[in-house]
This record gives sequence, C-alpha cells and structure tokens, in this order.
Amino acid sequence: MKVFAASLVAAGLVAAAAPLLAHHSAAAAYDETKKVEAQGTVTRLLVKNPHSWIFLESTDDKGQKIEWQIEMGGVTSMAWTKEALPIGTVVKAVGHPSRAPGSHGMTAAIFSKPDGTPLGPRGGRGEYVPR
Amino acid sequence: MTAAISRFSGLRRAAIVAGALIVMAIGGHAVRVLKAQPEAAPPPIPDLAGVWDGGRRSHPTNSATSPWAKTMAEGATLPDGTPAGKNYVSNFPELNERGLAFQKIFDEPLSPKYDCQPSTPPALPYDPFPVEIVQWPDRVLFRYEKDDQLRTVWLDGRQPTARDYGVQGFSVGRYEGNALVMETTNYVFDITGFDDYNGIPSSQQKKVRERYWREGEQLKATVTVEDPMFLRKPTSYTMRYLPAPKGYKLKAFDCDPEAARLSVQFITPRYK
Repeated sequence: MKVFAASLVAAGLVAAAAPLLAHHSAAAAYDETKKVEAQGTVTRLLVKNPHSWIFLESTDDKGQKIEWQIEMGGVTSMAWTKEALPIGTVVKAVGHPSRAPGSHGMTAAIFSKPDGTPLGPRGGRGEYVPR
Repeated sequence: MTAAISRFSGLRRAAIVAGALIVMAIGGHAVRVLKAQPEAAPPPIPDLAGVWDGGRRSHPTNSATSPWAKTMAEGATLPDGTPAGKNYVSNFPELNERGLAFQKIFDEPLSPKYDCQPSTPPALPYDPFPVEIVQWPDRVLFRYEKDDQLRTVWLDGRQPTARDYGVQGFSVGRYEGNALVMETTNYVFDITGFDDYNGIPSSQQKKVRERYWREGEQLKATVTVEDPMFLRKPTSYTMRYLPAPKGYKLKAFDCDPEAARLSVQFITPRYK
C-alpha cells in the first residue's frame, strides 16, 4: 500500500490533536510541531497499558514493505477495538511523526478511510478525552 | 545512749511508715478520682476513604512543568486546581551539584518506566489515574491504578527495619486534626525517582512527607520531598483529587513490557 508519507505541516494545524501520553514525554519520541500522513492495512491492535498501539502494513516510496507503529493512549482512553478497526481494514492515519531517522512511528493519530471519510469513534480520534 | 538512739530510730521508722501510708491514701484517692472521670473520646478520624480521580479534571496532567514549575502564567491552573497568582513562586527542585550532573547525563531511553518499573512518590500520587484510599484501624492503604501499586501507611507506631527497603519505601503515619500525615523513607535508588520528565533521580535518603485532607468534596494533598543526595532543600506541591465517578472500581493496569518499550525506538538517544 502506498504511503502518503512525510507531508510535514506546520505545528498549528495539529494543536487540537495533542497526545494523551502521560506515561512519558511525547516530545522525546515524536515531533509535535509536524505531522505525517500514512496509508496502510491494519495488521494488529495492541490495547495495553501504559500505551496502546495500532500497526499498519504499508510500503515506502521505493515500494519496500514497512510497518507503521502508531502509539495511542492507555487502555482507559483507547476507544478503538478490534471490532471498530478490524484487521485488514485499509485506513489513512495522520499524526505526529517519530523523531528517530528512518523510523515509522506516529502518535496522536486521526484515522479515516482512504478517501478521507472519518472513521470510528470521535471523528477518527480514537481516544477518549480523560474525564 | 544506745537505748536513746534505738528509740529515736524507732520513732523515725514509725514516722516514715505513717508518711508512706498517708501518701498512699492520698494517691489512692487521687487515682479513684481520676478513674471516676469519664475517658476523653478519641478525636474523630477524618474520612478520606473512597476512589479519587487524579485525572485531568482534577489537576493538570503531569509534564515537564507540572507539578514542578519554575514559572506559571497568571491564571494558569495549579496542581491544586486553583489559578496561579501574579507572584507565583517556583517549586522546581533546587538541585545540588550531584543532582545537576545526573540531570545533565540523563538520557530518556534510560528511564525504567519503559520496562514497566512503577513510578514512586512524588510522581506517583500526581499521575493522572484513580487512587483508592482504604482506612483500617492500624493502617491506611493507597491503591493506585497506575502501575498497580499499593502503599501501606502504618498507624500502629511500627518503624522500618533494615530489611524494609523497597521501591515504594516504608510509610508510617498518624491523624492530625482533619488530616492524615505520613512519612515515607527506605526507598531504593531510582534514576527517575523524583521526576521522570526532567530526569531527576532519588536516593535511599529520599524522604517524602504527605498530608491528606478533605475540603468539601475535594481531597487535597501536599507532597514534600527531601533528598540531600540530590536536592539542596526540600520542595513540595499541593494537589487535589476529585471523587471518581460513582461506582468506579480500579482497573488492573497490567503494564505490558512490549507496549511500554516500543516508543523507545523513536527517541534519538543522546549517547551511542
């Protein structure tokens, strides 16, 4: 699946999607001033503490297979379930990119169908805002 | 002469015995009087029991500037839920040379939380998760949803022994007026034991004093930390909890090592 990767945009556009990563400083792992877009097939959901993860199988712009690892909130704030986001679903995710060069991580992701139609709970946000 | 001395000694003994009898009689009467008075009722124990919400609606989420902040904009929400005043005073720890050196070399991937090691006070009470307080006659239990941690605060006067070192230390406490006052010592060295956002460790010399009291529906807490190994002087924050939703039961945190460590690959380490 083709990646629409590395469309880095200014910080203000993503301010509303601040991550809920109380377990660690998200800024250490992700660049919260940028955002990245990826498209891929859901291969796995890891709904765990301290943070949940969604994995997408995708390809880079050279056609090489890659895996996007998308960090979400912990169990309490994670709204996605395997029923809401079945394995095999093709999705587009937009969020903050990971910092390490060559890595394919993302956080504070908003999910949609490939055509941009919002997907799942909270307009694709996928996480509950804490009480 | 000898007979006179003997007589005198006899009189003296008689006087002493008589005196002792009088003292015993008076004393006995006093004891009877004291016993006759009703015993003073023990002061009421403040009711702190319940499940308390430490999440975002109670106080700002923990970060590099909460609960420890050098500056706060006027009107910004403080850990106790009140707005910061114009003359906010920094509570950021004043590190000694050793603390500064540790902070300088701290590298985020070193943090043991990425291996599910639990956080400890002063960070643990401020983590944005519920806590349940259970009050028994001889102890108070703090059950934290975060990291499934249990802290036992002994009220029966016991003191830690040389075997009582642990991640959560050893806590003793008492009720003072409307508050639970507790002190925790006997911590083990913890590389992020003071704060995991600013890379400040804590040592076996860490001492955490906490005070919990009710203000209406709120539970307030002041957490004060001293650790001469790394801090020049004690520092503290005051925070609040709000009641958790009715019927809320703590969930198992069950930290997953894979989920905890995955993001480390995205951090650019300071050292190769």
